[in-house]
Amino acid sequence: MPFNRPRFVNGRILHNPGHGIFYRMEVSIPDRIEFVPGQFAMVSGWPGNDPLLPRPLAIFRTGGARGKGIVEFVYKVVGRGTALLSGLHEGDPLQITLPLGHGFELAREDRTWWLVGGGVGFSTVFPAAVALEAQRAEFEVFLGGRTRDQLPPKEWIPGAGVPGRAHLSTDDGTAGFFGRATDAVRERMDRLKAAERSRLTILACGPREMLKGIAELALPHGIPVQVSLENHMACGFGVCWGCVTAVRDGERTGYRRVCREGPVFDAREIVW
Amino acid sequence: MVTPPVTPDLTSRVGSVVLKNPVMSASGTFGYGLEFTPFYDIARLGAVIVKGLSLLPTPGNAPQRIVETPAGMLNAIGLQNIGVERFVLDVVPRLADAGATYVANIYGRTIEEYEEVARRLSGVASLAAIELNASCPNVKEGGILFGSTPQGLSTLTRRVRAATGKPLWVKLSPNVTDIGAVARAAEDAGADAVTLINTIVGMAVDCRTRRPRLSNVTGGLSGPAVRPVALRMVWEACKAVRIPVIGIGGIQSAEDALEFLLVGATAVQVGTANFRNPNACVEIIDGIADFLVRERVGRLEEYRGTLRL
Repeated sequence: MPFNRPRFVNGRILHNPGHGIFYRMEVSIPDRIEFVPGQFAMVSGWPGNDPLLPRPLAIFRTGGARGKGIVEFVYKVVGRGTALLSGLHEGDPLQITLPLGHGFELAREDRTWWLVGGGVGFSTVFPAAVALEAQRAEFEVFLGGRTRDQLPPKEWIPGAGVPGRAHLSTDDGTAGFFGRATDAVRERMDRLKAAERSRLTILACGPREMLKGIAELALPHGIPVQVSLENHMACGFGVCWGCVTAVRDGERTGYRRVCREGPVFDAREIVW
Repeated sequence: MVTPPVTPDLTSRVGSVVLKNPVMSASGTFGYGLEFTPFYDIARLGAVIVKGLSLLPTPGNAPQRIVETPAGMLNAIGLQNIGVERFVLDVVPRLADAGATYVANIYGRTIEEYEEVARRLSGVASLAAIELNASCPNVKEGGILFGSTPQGLSTLTRRVRAATGKPLWVKLSPNVTDIGAVARAAEDAGADAVTLINTIVGMAVDCRTRRPRLSNVTGGLSGPAVRPVALRMVWEACKAVRIPVIGIGGIQSAEDALEFLLVGATAVQVGTANFRNPNACVEIIDGIADFLVRERVGRLEEYRGTLRL
């Protein structure tokens, strides 16, 4: 049986090549896992105590057979931990806790889905696109990067061959729409009829500014937005209370754990 | 002649509390214990020490709450917790069902609040002991006010001691001049054991943005970076008091745990290591048993406090 409750496993790297600014790492693990798009793993693989803590990485894809699982991550080097991961090779051991967190809610039928990924945030929305494609749901993907070479390779985008499905944007105009992903979403949304808007749900992962922008754009129209947040984490499974984000709690502000109640939240809850 | 396989006796007695082994989870690194049930049977632990409980639910500090440092981390969580009432109603039955030996870590903003939390827990039959947090560095009212001088600690301990019949462990701050004097103050005021160390106050800043990295500005340092300091303080406390000493500070492996037992600790708590490896506590239990087998020591009791000076 594939597992879907958190487990701490030893893995071994199968591939870890770079593609532009991204790395795509494939790891063999003892068993297949079932995961919800948006869920993540805590990953470490370097010897010694420095850095001390594992790094949270979105689960990009899983596979394998009974007694032999595979998990894939797409990541970007942002600090020492990911720099060390990027230097690992085929055969190197990894310690992984997975699957973790609360993922996207995709079960609602008869919706149109827009998936918005800013920077490496696409690695979180891609598995949602794969799942939506499998349920033959209608969806479009908006991917933004600073420049052309900070966009993911086209062949990674699920259903990119379908006309009108993938919308690329760059801050410097070197590819796709000239502007931020939020601007591309705004432009497309302005062209929607009210009936089309009422069927729309947005899933987004990227810089906090982008998520806030998408929420401010969509929520006034009553469009549901699910945002996947990032934060520094120590444990990843809800025991250190280090990764909280501010949320509305009645009249007051409360704090919820990005690793446990999140990383995917209803954008209406978030105090930006 | 073949020697039959031996399972060493790891039983550890913290006063009247009998633990099946000396390894406990440290408060604040283990949630309410139930979060670990996907990973292993929490009844295997010597004890689960739950996250610090206050009289009322506490929201905690604003983010950013944690920052990684060389071989360690700083935290300033601010004691976010569900409050003692919800703990008793929602968590206690599930910990009892799981067969776990568990200890409640408590704190208050005032001595009266400490007393009230202790009273509320006194009637919880399955609760093994109360651990008094007299040392949280991240909340002004989180005990550090009471815990940084022998006089303050003595008053707090005496008052809580009178409020509950449960075994009372007092968790000490390392941010003091003379740990032996503080430990003795707890002992004299009626503590059944002392637990140390809590985190060491530290700070991290960003030289480019010129801002502190934690919203609370300062935080508590934990992880392997603090282990030598912790070991020294535990050794000093063991010499200063007759009550059991529970050692904490950067323990990541069975060998680390054994170092604390060697200098005289009755038991240990494992904290930050749980973040990196959720199975850390059980791996340490197994590692201690393996070590004793290799060293041909039948009972942990024979090894404890045998430092050769």
